[in-house]
Amino acid sequence: MAKQTAPANRPTQDLAVEQKIQKLREVFADAPQMAKTALENKLGELTSQASEPRSGMESAGRTGSRQGTVSELTLILPFAPGGARRLRALLQAQNGNFDDADKVGTVHDMRFVFLDDTKLLFATAYDGDWDPYIDDFATKIPDIMDIAFSAFEGWPGIHNPEVKDWIAKHQVTAEGWYVANRDLTVAETRRLEKVGKAVEEFLDKIG
Amino acid sequence: MANQTQPPIESEQDVTDKIRQLRALFADAPELGKKTLENALREIKQQVSETPPPTIESAGRVGARLGKVSELTIIVPLAPGGAKRLRAFLRLLGGNLDKGDKVGSLHDMRFVFFDNDTRMLFATSFDGDWDAYIDDFVTQIPDYLDIIDSAWDGWPGIRSPGAKDYLAQHQISAESWYVANPNLTVAETRRLERVGKAVEEFLDKVG
Repeated sequence: MAKQTAPANRPTQDLAVEQKIQKLREVFADAPQMAKTALENKLGELTSQASEPRSGMESAGRTGSRQGTVSELTLILPFAPGGARRLRALLQAQNGNFDDADKVGTVHDMRFVFLDDTKLLFATAYDGDWDPYIDDFATKIPDIMDIAFSAFEGWPGIHNPEVKDWIAKHQVTAEGWYVANRDLTVAETRRLEKVGKAVEEFLDKIG
Repeated sequence: MANQTQPPIESEQDVTDKIRQLRALFADAPELGKKTLENALREIKQQVSETPPPTIESAGRVGARLGKVSELTIIVPLAPGGAKRLRAFLRLLGGNLDKGDKVGSLHDMRFVFFDNDTRMLFATSFDGDWDAYIDDFVTQIPDYLDIIDSAWDGWPGIRSPGAKDYLAQHQISAESWYVANPNLTVAETRRLERVGKAVEEFLDKVG
């Protein structure tokens, strides 16, 4: 094995991280004792994680965060009068299974959560950039989008030129975002599932 | 190919009733919602009656599950100073939560501040049952949970017997939950990724 040489700028980086850690300890001075203890336990690990993160959170485009190929979209939406009741009826008619999302092709997961009768949380994990993702919804499942989202105050309609502004306005970007298999798109994962089955069949035949 | 057995289908009457209820509820929807509902009703009717999608089940104590993948959605009020501490912690790591890998059953995870830093959304998707999943967090990364969750108002500490009750109390089950690849756990997806690479190497050698 070849010896790894440390990058030349390493000491400066470490200094910057040391300063950040010091700042963090100051901010945690008024935290509950259990948090302070836990922080002290993890200082070493945190220093190395901060210096060499395994992953790199970036922007998903207009808004939202991304890890590798997988981005997050988090919307908190105010219901229009009667909207909560209508949306519940729609979701129940689908048995809680919004499988139109299959047609979008880039959705990893998606949830509708009623925060109370005035607000809904809509959260998805998806492939790639914000703009093409919203476009996918508009071109592939426009009707179901209008049925579901007309439950919200001010929904302009999926074909309205202002729809992207409306969505962006209600989106809140995650400050922390983790994805286990962040290099795999939905399509690639499905391909791998097929490869896995083909390999099993192949091994059965020669076995 | 063997014939697949069809899951039991809902009776025509049930479906017609549901559709009638949905129409009645949408009577006071915006014109856009009503129009698109009519466009989509035929399709919804087909979905509901002919191809029942995989059923949404409970993830255990709380939350929804589709196939092997469950959702956890927690909304908590932040403790005084909590937002400042948690932001400092997440920024040190650049939003990267690499230690999520240690949990093993975690697909994705996000931290979102909202309502002017007075509330936090913690949303994950994970494999299997609620209890086992929380146990994974507790045994694999207890210190990180205490660093993060002590920003939450009333957090009793991960080693407190009240920790699970606290989490369950603040969790809201999704009314609708979609997963693109519901049969794949994190571990199985990683195995398939390795199989895919091995197949490529194999084909390279014989090619």
